[in-house]
Amino acid sequence: MSTSMKETSFDSLYKAFEERIEQLKKLPKMKEDSSIEQVINDNGFSRREFMIWAGGVTAMLALPSSFTPLMAEAVKVADRLPIIWLHMAECTGCTESLLRSANPSIDSLIFDYISLEYQETLMTAAGWQAEQNLENAMKKYKGRYILMVEGGIPSADTEHYLTIGGHGKTGKASAMEAAEHAAAVFAIGTCSAFGGVQAAAPNPSNAVALSEVTHKTVINVPGCPPSEKNIVGTLLHYLLYGTLPALDVFNRPKWAYRLRIHDLCERRGHFDAGEFVEQFGDAGAKDGYCLYKVGCKGPYTFNNCSKQKFNQGTSWPVQAGFGCIGCSEPDFWDTMGTVNEPIKDRLYNTTFGGLGADATADKIGIGLLTATAVGIAAHAVVSAIKPPKE
Amino acid sequence: MITKEIIEKIEGEASVEFEIKDNLVEFATISFPHFRGIEMILNGKNALDALVITPRVCGICGHAHLMASVRAIEDAYKNAGYEIKNNQKIEKIREFTLIMEIIQNHFKWFYMTLIPELEKLHSTSLVQTPLKGAFAASLAAKAIATFAGQWPHSSYMIPGGITSDPTNIDILQVQTYLQELSLFFENETLGTSLEDFLSFESCKEFRGLNSDFSYIEEKLISLEMHEKGFAYDKFLILGKHSFTSVSKLNKTHAVGIDAKFVNTVEAYSPNQITYAKNAQYKKEYYETGPLSRMMALNFPIIKNMHRRFKDSAYSRVMARIFELAYLLKKASSLATTLTIAESSYNSVVDISKITASGLGVVEAPRGPLLHKIEIEKGIIESYKIITPTQFNIGSSSLKNPTPAQKAMQKLSKEEALFVFRTFDVCSVCTTH
Ligand code: SF4
Ligand code: SF4
Repeated sequence: MSTSMKETSFDSLYKAFEERIEQLKKLPKMKEDSSIEQVINDNGFSRREFMIWAGGVTAMLALPSSFTPLMAEAVKVADRLPIIWLHMAECTGCTESLLRSANPSIDSLIFDYISLEYQETLMTAAGWQAEQNLENAMKKYKGRYILMVEGGIPSADTEHYLTIGGHGKTGKASAMEAAEHAAAVFAIGTCSAFGGVQAAAPNPSNAVALSEVTHKTVINVPGCPPSEKNIVGTLLHYLLYGTLPALDVFNRPKWAYRLRIHDLCERRGHFDAGEFVEQFGDAGAKDGYCLYKVGCKGPYTFNNCSKQKFNQGTSWPVQAGFGCIGCSEPDFWDTMGTVNEPIKDRLYNTTFGGLGADATADKIGIGLLTATAVGIAAHAVVSAIKPPKE
Repeated sequence: MITKEIIEKIEGEASVEFEIKDNLVEFATISFPHFRGIEMILNGKNALDALVITPRVCGICGHAHLMASVRAIEDAYKNAGYEIKNNQKIEKIREFTLIMEIIQNHFKWFYMTLIPELEKLHSTSLVQTPLKGAFAASLAAKAIATFAGQWPHSSYMIPGGITSDPTNIDILQVQTYLQELSLFFENETLGTSLEDFLSFESCKEFRGLNSDFSYIEEKLISLEMHEKGFAYDKFLILGKHSFTSVSKLNKTHAVGIDAKFVNTVEAYSPNQITYAKNAQYKKEYYETGPLSRMMALNFPIIKNMHRRFKDSAYSRVMARIFELAYLLKKASSLATTLTIAESSYNSVVDISKITASGLGVVEAPRGPLLHKIEIEKGIIESYKIITPTQFNIGSSSLKNPTPAQKAMQKLSKEEALFVFRTFDVCSVCTTH
């Protein structure tokens, strides 16, 4: 949402959010005897800290700061939405990203507080009991629960490479069933969004994205792993709007994936000045030069890492001098080539067939006014990429 | 009479099938029914791509995979005649981040696995505090991220060094995280100072503490876990590090070894699909992980504990917590002696010049992790990964059980499942 947007439309959005929160309040709480204020308080956060956090999330979701109190209100009713989190073929890194989200940060507290009705890693039940929990949760909250899926889904004649539960049900069957009666479906991490590492050639398990096994709309929250901010933000966005977020061509929420890593990168000034690390450890590396020549895929990758960073804002790969590997793009394992080399034959403007991930069915084009290639010697290439008009 | 019991699912990713006789486990087979085929995916890719692919084998010990990969590639450089000698700074930072990953793992295991599992077995309710685990683990992860950019799935190690160039401020920051973490561990987990804890001489001294740790210790004793869950009393440490010594131990007797004698055999799992192979050293089974690493060091308390309780479930659990204390101290000393004057990276010849094989071995949270790479002009010809869980929790026949199978025998099913978890099961690694 750009600043040019008329105040009046924010007013009506504000009203819509208020109504949504009122509606949610009427739904039964998951845990009768607890409140998020209490939880946050018990964990040593002041109201002020909570409000600062709410302000941060509000800004991240591209809402004006006047929405901050509303965000705080929304969090209080977050426990009205049951969440089911399923693990498919994966490394559990996405869950880890979330678990590590904090100190415990407010992010993790909120995730803990809102009912994670079924999350294998966090749940103490195991075996038959866990399977039972899942079935019960799906029945009890039919049509109401939010489904979050982590991991790629083995299919075709290798579908049995992933079986879940005592009955030996395949991962694919579980995912299909759980998606069917979900109020909203989110693919958390690149594995679930696009197949991920196991889907890299030759894809031994025929792993596919969640969206391939269900007819429901799947919101993709890719990243390997996605930051805790994007996971929690996705949830809060849904909480407030009650509808699906604006999406790009790969069904990624625009609030998080609208810009390239490159657009807000801290090394961008060096790129524009033609100052590159030629080899790891050289003088340029010490001075924080641009990592393009040692393989950074930031110019082709849409995500907000350069702003949100990881581990509660501690750092991110570009800061550690490694460069972006393109992990939130479909098939990046196969299409973005060797990790420490630039993509030689791909021009900046040809990212995703010349459309760029900003290109949605309604608006194409202005995201990519500049058609200059990222020539290795190029100076001052591609300055501002304007966000597309809504 | 032997009856087949139902398959018990562990975290949805491993299952155990019991043969029960007179209410006790006669034998158990274990299967890992998930398969992704990471080794096949590595074939044909640039060798340096292993540095970003193998960490994705596991979201909990991805850093160990990264280090095993970089060691394997550096070994290949050496075998191709281009030996890489990393300076102190590079070695120390790599070692530091690896240690921090082990630390976060152990914290998480303590608060998110051990306590809930004990509660199930003990049927009294313990105070469950998973957030304590998340808190400690996230602090450890921040310390890693300061050098490595992010955790999980950092890729900052490259042949010849590391990509980050930490400043003194970064190092101060890391020291602060460590202080905070040590304080948390002392106040919340142990109930005593690290120094005191590490200088204990007998398990009896645990009794004076009043903490999460002492509570757990009491429960373990009351469940008689010091008399249960014995494996072979044979231990294996293969990764070369500043915090342990490469050796195999038969009880307390240690001898030097070489990782090239590690072999794998097909798993025995007649009724269930499994994609895991069992790992051995010279065709014999050994236990790996914290208890093994601690046995290789000379702490009086570990000696005392082993003399009294051998390799029981109790010892296995206690060793993991003791290792946590030991590694926190080790990490602090690494962080305080780190100087940034040296270079982070020494240039190496291009990977396309390398045609050789290499072996990288590290100690991951659960024990030795081996990566074997064959490179042809910079391209991966073959890649083999052997993980710690393959040593500990393989599935073999009754005649020659694996450590975990042996440890579960003659226990009730509930006890056996608890003992199974004292090995700190990681199934995503096991099949990869
Ligand atoms: S997206 Fe990455 S971090 Fe998440 S499960 Fe897949 S491999 Fe692991
Ligand atoms: S190429 Fe990479 S390092 Fe360079 S400015 Fe772009 S995102 Fe940053």
